[in-house]
Amino acid sequence: MRYALRMERLTARKIEQTRVKQDRLGARDEDDYGLVLPPASFKVELPVRDATGQWSGPRAWAANFRWLMENHPCYIDPDDAIAGRWMFMLSRMRLGYQLSRSNFAFDYSHLEPLQKKYDITTGIGKDAHFAPDYQIGLDLGWGGLLEKVRAVRLKFSAGGEDAAYSVELMDAEEQAILGVQAWMRRLGAAAADRTMTEEDPERRANLEEMARICLKLVDRPPETLREAVQWIAVFNMASRTYNRDGAGGQLDELLRPYYVRDIAAGLITDEDAEFYCFCLLLNDPHYYQIGGPAADGTDQTSRMSYIILEAASKLKSSCNLTIRVWDGMDRALYRRGVEILLANRLGYPRFSGDKALVEGFMKNGYSAELARQRIAVGCNWMSLPGLEYTLNDVVKINIAKVFEVAFAESASWEELEANYRKHFAAAVKVTAEGIDFHLDHQYLNEPELMLNLLSHGPIEKGLDVSHGGATYYNMAIDGAGLAVVADSFGAIEQRVVDEKALSFAEVKDAVASNFEGDAGERTRKMLDSAGRYGAGGTRADAWAVKLTEILDGEIAGHTTPHGFKLIPGWFTWADTLRFGRAVGATPNGRRAGEPISHGANPLPGFRKDGALTAMAAAIASVQPGYGNTAPWQLEVDIGLADDERAVEKLMALMDGHFALGGTLININVVDAEKILEADRDPSKYPDLVVRVTGFTAYFNSLSPAFRQLVVKRLIREAV
Amino acid sequence: MNGVVFDIKRGCVKDGPGLRTSVFMKGCPLKCVWCHNPESQSPAIQRAVATDEVCGREMSVEEVMGEVRRDKVFYSASGGGATFTGGEPTMQFDFLMALCGAAKAEGIHVAVDTCGFAPRECFAALLPCVDLFLYDLKCMDAARHLEFTGVPNGRIIGNLEFLDSAGAKFWIRCPLVPGLNDSDADLAALRDFTRGLRNMEKLEICPYHPLGLEKCAKFGLSPRYAGMSQPTAADLARYNAFLRPREGCAPARPQAMNAPAGRTATGKECYAI
Ligand code: SF4
Repeated sequence: MRYALRMERLTARKIEQTRVKQDRLGARDEDDYGLVLPPASFKVELPVRDATGQWSGPRAWAANFRWLMENHPCYIDPDDAIAGRWMFMLSRMRLGYQLSRSNFAFDYSHLEPLQKKYDITTGIGKDAHFAPDYQIGLDLGWGGLLEKVRAVRLKFSAGGEDAAYSVELMDAEEQAILGVQAWMRRLGAAAADRTMTEEDPERRANLEEMARICLKLVDRPPETLREAVQWIAVFNMASRTYNRDGAGGQLDELLRPYYVRDIAAGLITDEDAEFYCFCLLLNDPHYYQIGGPAADGTDQTSRMSYIILEAASKLKSSCNLTIRVWDGMDRALYRRGVEILLANRLGYPRFSGDKALVEGFMKNGYSAELARQRIAVGCNWMSLPGLEYTLNDVVKINIAKVFEVAFAESASWEELEANYRKHFAAAVKVTAEGIDFHLDHQYLNEPELMLNLLSHGPIEKGLDVSHGGATYYNMAIDGAGLAVVADSFGAIEQRVVDEKALSFAEVKDAVASNFEGDAGERTRKMLDSAGRYGAGGTRADAWAVKLTEILDGEIAGHTTPHGFKLIPGWFTWADTLRFGRAVGATPNGRRAGEPISHGANPLPGFRKDGALTAMAAAIASVQPGYGNTAPWQLEVDIGLADDERAVEKLMALMDGHFALGGTLININVVDAEKILEADRDPSKYPDLVVRVTGFTAYFNSLSPAFRQLVVKRLIREAV
Repeated sequence: MNGVVFDIKRGCVKDGPGLRTSVFMKGCPLKCVWCHNPESQSPAIQRAVATDEVCGREMSVEEVMGEVRRDKVFYSASGGGATFTGGEPTMQFDFLMALCGAAKAEGIHVAVDTCGFAPRECFAALLPCVDLFLYDLKCMDAARHLEFTGVPNGRIIGNLEFLDSAGAKFWIRCPLVPGLNDSDADLAALRDFTRGLRNMEKLEICPYHPLGLEKCAKFGLSPRYAGMSQPTAADLARYNAFLRPREGCAPARPQAMNAPAGRTATGKECYAI
């Protein structure tokens, strides 16, 4: 228990920082990210901006990033094993930045009419959302990366005009590295300064070690576990500062060699190792995977996996750790993960299903070895560390909107499906054209200066990862609004075709008027009470499967016009509100502007008994099945968690889901009463962390509308 | 073959081991004053007074099995299966036999939740196709049993002893209502009787929950005892003290009483003791 007090103080400070963020920034419906606010006096004065507040191209990004790093405040906590916290997102400093629509220096107005028509989140100009290979950085250190970049620059500088971009890119990479190195140097100095005023001998010793490590890591690669976590944290913070990137890696395997060496040398104990991991996880809720098969099919679970898991359990804060569940796994790790999930009720760890992920990804023409390495490192997504460019989780088609267009055009039930298919195909086409447009221009708009460094290819080839640098291109397109559309089709089929209780025209009129008047409300109630997706065996269930076939039919195995592979998924991220606002009333009884459904989840109330097995089976039945996910977002209330065999039951539920083809499970174990109370008075539970979707967040940092969604998802079973 | 079913719930965690699908069959020979499913007592299909909600629908064995089959993968992962409950499932005996046989034939674990008030032959016939009986034991005192349930308990106890001697596996479930059947003497009698059973795997206490009263109102049934209350934390502690935790079973946890009602299939909060 050597570190208990330090952990407690670190956690308390994190909660306080979250409160300050909440006060100053207001509600934010996204990940906590681990950033802290800069001192109020700090002024950002980026060197490169045009008259409209924009910048683009490698040189400009590098100059601005270097300025930020060179001036970045140095946060030092004498209790922490790691120096630094990150404070800015450069990518959000361009004037007019929106989460849903990135600044882009190139005109794609030719695509916009259709993108708007189908409410497509285009991904154009979106950054990150693929995974780095930390091993590259851990092996080379910043000094080694700098050398590598300089050597490549030298090679390209003889290449004349053709190589001009590569030269500019390498120059930019150099600037970026110099910026990070400058910050590391300053972090070291700040830690050293702080020793002067520190009276507690243990904390002073800690600060001295911190200073030594920072200064060493300016150039050299890490050699001990503590150095390795500091290196990873610095890369994470720098990459966050550059463009919010949050992808992690296979953390147990990345850290294991350092741990084994340190233990053998008698440098550390397991307690030290756990504390270092605790600090890394506290520093930033990056997405890490533990466990799962190695490329050769052997289990990767090690002592390090357990240490990371226990560190996460002590964290009591926002965290995005995923355990990969597979046949050959160490079930004890899985079980321990479920125990922590149930005991801590903080929404982590998450669980991913290896079988469906591997088999699915192989359908794109990849080997089993490669498929096993495609790990959970994002909100809903898997990625091959350092090998792949994906635009994961940023390209979405709002199928509720596609349905709306198709429905408006249909005069009869018989026309509806064909119209949906036609418009969905058109939506995919314009989405794919958008992806090509992005891939054509992003390297000039916003090169991936940080992630290029930890990818195999971009530096060697002198090409940005978004423009030929990556080894593989697997571009994600997610559908959003599955349950709304499945229930809409299902409600019409049941009430109009099967029961003849309503006519198609009546449904159209009621929907067009947003269910106005008594008659409209009666119609709405009839539609709303039709069998839902998730109930099992309903018309809507069959439609959900069919919609998945349609999704696959247009996306899986297809490429963009320029030949880049596409992979389908179902996912809404935290965007159910925004998507919902774009869509009028729908025939599932949903009123205009109400939120759309979440990911692959059925709508709340899908079954009277809220049966979790029914939900698990339904979501498994709509897996697109090509290696990208359709996650199951599950709220389990305390009742199940209290049961003495809850661990087994939850594991059985997950095993069943994975056996049926499930890919990723995000679980919130909630105390319904506590959430309701926190919704009434958010200040009451400043430490309440909930899993919003792929990410966790402090409940009180969410907007009231968003909190409502979390509240609604609570399964209140009425007998 | 058809029968009348009033609900099928999937993913039940408290009607036997593992994750289960509970099939609620209509009709019951008893009229317990605390009944949590008063609308289940009549074998007929009923309609709620205000909401027009229908209780009960005719289903074939195949239709029920279609629902039961959906969660097969979860049964095998969790050691769960199907639970036939009610009402009193033996009221539709042929239907019940057909269902148990069909489930068994597909390798699905079968539990039957019964009040025990049925001819001995029914239980003898069920023995080979039932893996677990969930057996209600409501009150050891014959006179009060008659008062609270409408029938004497001799046949119920006799059937239980028969199942025990026949080597059937069973859990005993005991609904406890403060002031009615939870006196120290009641608990002692329960304890002493169950100690004599060789094949009992578990004794569960189901603290009374006033859920049934709302349902009475809904279906226009008149409740026979209006003043019943939920056991307090102190009551639960007393139950625990009497019915000492058996090996491998956790004691009843009073705090769980505050959990929202209705999570379990039957509306009962059950505690393993
Ligand atoms: S035995 Fe069960 S269903 Fe029948 S009356 Fe009693 S409590 Fe109700």
